[in-house]
Amino acid sequence: MSSIGKSGETVQIADLAKDRMDTYRVPPIPFMRKARPYLILAPALLLTIGILIPFFISIYYSFTNYSFKYKDYSFVGLENWTLMLKDPSFWHSVWVTGQYAIFSTGAEMLLGIGVALLLNQETRLAKALRMVLIFPLMIAPVIATLIWQLMTNNSVGVIAHFLRSVGIDNFVWGADPKTAMFSVVLIDVWVYTPFVIVLVLAGLRSLPKAPFESAMVDGGSAWFTFKTLTLPMIKPLLVIALLFRTMISLQEFSIIFALTRGGPGDTLMSLSLTAYNEAFTYKELGTALPYMLILWIFVYIVSHYMIRYWSRAQKNASGS
Amino acid sequence: MADIALKQVTKKYKQHTALNGVSIDIKDKEFFVIFGPAGAGKTTLLNVIAGIAVPEEGVVTMNGKVVNSIEPEDRNVAMVFENYALYPHMSVFDNIASPLRSPRYRQPESKIKEEVHRVAKILRIDWLLQRLPSELSNGQRQRVSLGRALVRSPEVFLMDEPLTHLDAKLRHQMRAEFKEMQANLNTTTIYVTHDYLEALSLGDRIAVLNEGRIEQIGTPDDIYYRPATEFVAEAFGEPEINLLTAGIVRKGGEWYLNLLGDSDHFTVPRQVKSVIEELQLENVRVGFRPKDIKYSFTDDSASMLRAAVYSFEPLGSKAILTAHAGGQLIRLIAPADLEARPDRPIYLKFNVDEAIFFDERTRRFIARAGEKGGRFVG
Amino acid sequence: MGNTNPFSKLLKNAALLLYALFALFPLFWMILISFKHDREMFNTVFLFHPTLENYKVLFSSNEYIGYFLNNVYVSVGAVLVSIVVGVPAAYALARFDFKGKENLAFTFLSFRFAPELLVILPLFLIYQKIGLYDTYFGLIWVYQLISLPFIIWILRGYFEDISPEVEHAGRVDGYSWWRVFLKIIMPLIKPGLVAAALLSFIFVWNNFTFALLLAGQGVITTTVASLKYISSDTVHYGQMAAAVTISALPEVILALLIQKHLVRGLSMGAVKG
Repeated sequence: MSSIGKSGETVQIADLAKDRMDTYRVPPIPFMRKARPYLILAPALLLTIGILIPFFISIYYSFTNYSFKYKDYSFVGLENWTLMLKDPSFWHSVWVTGQYAIFSTGAEMLLGIGVALLLNQETRLAKALRMVLIFPLMIAPVIATLIWQLMTNNSVGVIAHFLRSVGIDNFVWGADPKTAMFSVVLIDVWVYTPFVIVLVLAGLRSLPKAPFESAMVDGGSAWFTFKTLTLPMIKPLLVIALLFRTMISLQEFSIIFALTRGGPGDTLMSLSLTAYNEAFTYKELGTALPYMLILWIFVYIVSHYMIRYWSRAQKNASGS
Repeated sequence: MADIALKQVTKKYKQHTALNGVSIDIKDKEFFVIFGPAGAGKTTLLNVIAGIAVPEEGVVTMNGKVVNSIEPEDRNVAMVFENYALYPHMSVFDNIASPLRSPRYRQPESKIKEEVHRVAKILRIDWLLQRLPSELSNGQRQRVSLGRALVRSPEVFLMDEPLTHLDAKLRHQMRAEFKEMQANLNTTTIYVTHDYLEALSLGDRIAVLNEGRIEQIGTPDDIYYRPATEFVAEAFGEPEINLLTAGIVRKGGEWYLNLLGDSDHFTVPRQVKSVIEELQLENVRVGFRPKDIKYSFTDDSASMLRAAVYSFEPLGSKAILTAHAGGQLIRLIAPADLEARPDRPIYLKFNVDEAIFFDERTRRFIARAGEKGGRFVG
Repeated sequence: MGNTNPFSKLLKNAALLLYALFALFPLFWMILISFKHDREMFNTVFLFHPTLENYKVLFSSNEYIGYFLNNVYVSVGAVLVSIVVGVPAAYALARFDFKGKENLAFTFLSFRFAPELLVILPLFLIYQKIGLYDTYFGLIWVYQLISLPFIIWILRGYFEDISPEVEHAGRVDGYSWWRVFLKIIMPLIKPGLVAAALLSFIFVWNNFTFALLLAGQGVITTTVASLKYISSDTVHYGQMAAAVTISALPEVILALLIQKHLVRGLSMGAVKG
């Protein structure tokens, strides 16, 4: 009876009323209209490709013995990788990295949730503090390290002064292997806890009132309400906070670098610090790259699954 | 002022075909209604005419010229959107003035002021001109949306369910106002709705759309008295038309309908008989509108079918009485103060002269007695 | 919470104050010290004669002002580039539907998680070869890893909040697609844009690692400069404190400005503020 008419084609269409075939020419879609979506996305795509290039270059050079000292280099295959995996200092840096991430993220999550719960009240104190407690997050971690160093400075620092007055005389913070991890984690917690607070507080303040009112009617302790009602509903935000903090603390560089450069000895030689050392002190690129690439692979996979988990948790939270 | 035509238009979105081989011819200055349930493709149809969507197949013409992929701003159409689509950051005045400030349809500021005030006055929103859309009620927003369209002199007005989101009372009121406006518009108008009352009262002609396909195009009378398919018959009318399968029984020279086991009372009308004969059918589907079914609680007339009351819903001035017989439910209209207890015997008389006959297999219209409704297309 | 027990209320307030002390005291002390003259540094802790000496020294030497300006150039530049690239990208993610859309979106997000050193090592090599080492542009480019994800993810939500019908209405009214985007859509996302820009600015301003390793003596930012204070044996603690205060001041002010949009920004658009 009739035939299709795609742009640019000539069509024959039956006109039943007049009992004949009509011919129409369908003009092609104007170029601008067709190109528009591509033009819009182009800048971001180009930039993304530009940014991905270093990643691929990293992978390439990790299979070589490239060094900043010499001009020539050659392929060594998986040698850098296997040497690294056999090297005990690699595993030590994994241990340091893991410790740092777990301690700081753990403390930040617990402290953050606690403070957020406290800030969720309508007292004047809570309302005033809500505005102001985000400030540490705005300070560059390097600067934060500087501040804490100054505060614990033996001659000038207020904290050192205070500790002395209660009898603690030789707390050396970063210089002592026993307290170095504590020091950097402390600074990390100081800077990043507000991140968790802001997220959790936002979640708490957006919760619907109805379920909580009926829980009050049913009677139940505050802890019970928290466990069965609050927690599931803010789970998506907790997942996000956990995801971000973990991923970022795994690769934290500035704080450790600024405080001790990875020392004392190799106490704080995380993966990032080791890579830095390898590349900028020993000037070896090929051996430094696998340290970061392994970290990247781990981060990418974990964040991929956590994001999937998060979108599912989001659906559940809105459903319940 | 334009003729609009769609010929075999198909529009797909990923897996879903929104319009499937749709052909419509709209005459200049016609008030054309597109009727269909949710998801039928009505908004897509308007978008194709407006140029917001480009069809994969088929041809869209305006005044004979093919306009398939011409940009919306170049088509000179005015559109009223289902959710009004007002610019949130602009005042009512600026919203209505917006088309007159566009590069395509620009007018001098003095003329703009004049036109906006004129339109606002007609729509009785002239006291709201400085407000923002967020400060308006639904009904007011709807009028602003209308105003933005009426301030133009387009080839065609496109209206996407303008009354849908208004509360019932406002909707009735606006429908009457629309009727009046329609007479004064003097421009081709395409009006989309899923409310059959709006369709019947406002349209010069109605196109019934279902799942991307046209079921029927015709005048309100065509649609109501000669629905092309059972779908169309069921869509128009409240309470819904009663569709029953009936066998054809030839007894003593006369043809009777076997309705719910009763094959003695209901004769096939003469005009219908010839069509059934031609198609050589053994069974037909018969549609009875609720108002064409009479009832009595006593068996006093010759052509009464015995049934029992199933339910009774009083609705203010009238009531819907549902009876059951032969495993089927039959709806009819009754006075609201009737006493009808469930399972009470009731006798139904079907007015076969007003019945609509459909083919059992294709569910398409076969015939009806009587002259109501002209020829249909589709 | 259900408790109105006055004791628990006291406990809660005490806990809150304790954390507030932990969080804010260091900043407060920093500001305090910046007004303390070197002479009095070692003597008393809180009681001293305030002086503007430290600030005067800082501003008189062009060095510090130079660092500050470097930070400004690089940060503003990075945010501007991110806006130019990110706004259309966010629109595309909100409106278009194409294969691999969510993969692309995740890729933008993953930039934020990319280990700094992983990016720096190859760039250290490349930049020197193509002459971007120690340049403003070199840093602006790397900083996209930080600022672009914010812009895209925050604005995507704002674009998604605008009904497509509003765009269609603009087209039908007689405006071309570009005019609709500029006249109608951009004003509607302005608050989100401002928030995203400020948030990106803050995190780009604070960056240390990229600025340290991909720039040398030419482009020193305040964060990198602060390193000198940490490792040196300088006795000018007051100046150090003043430098820190000035360096941190812009962000603290900005943070107050974007209070409302902070949540949406920090959670990368996952939550509306």
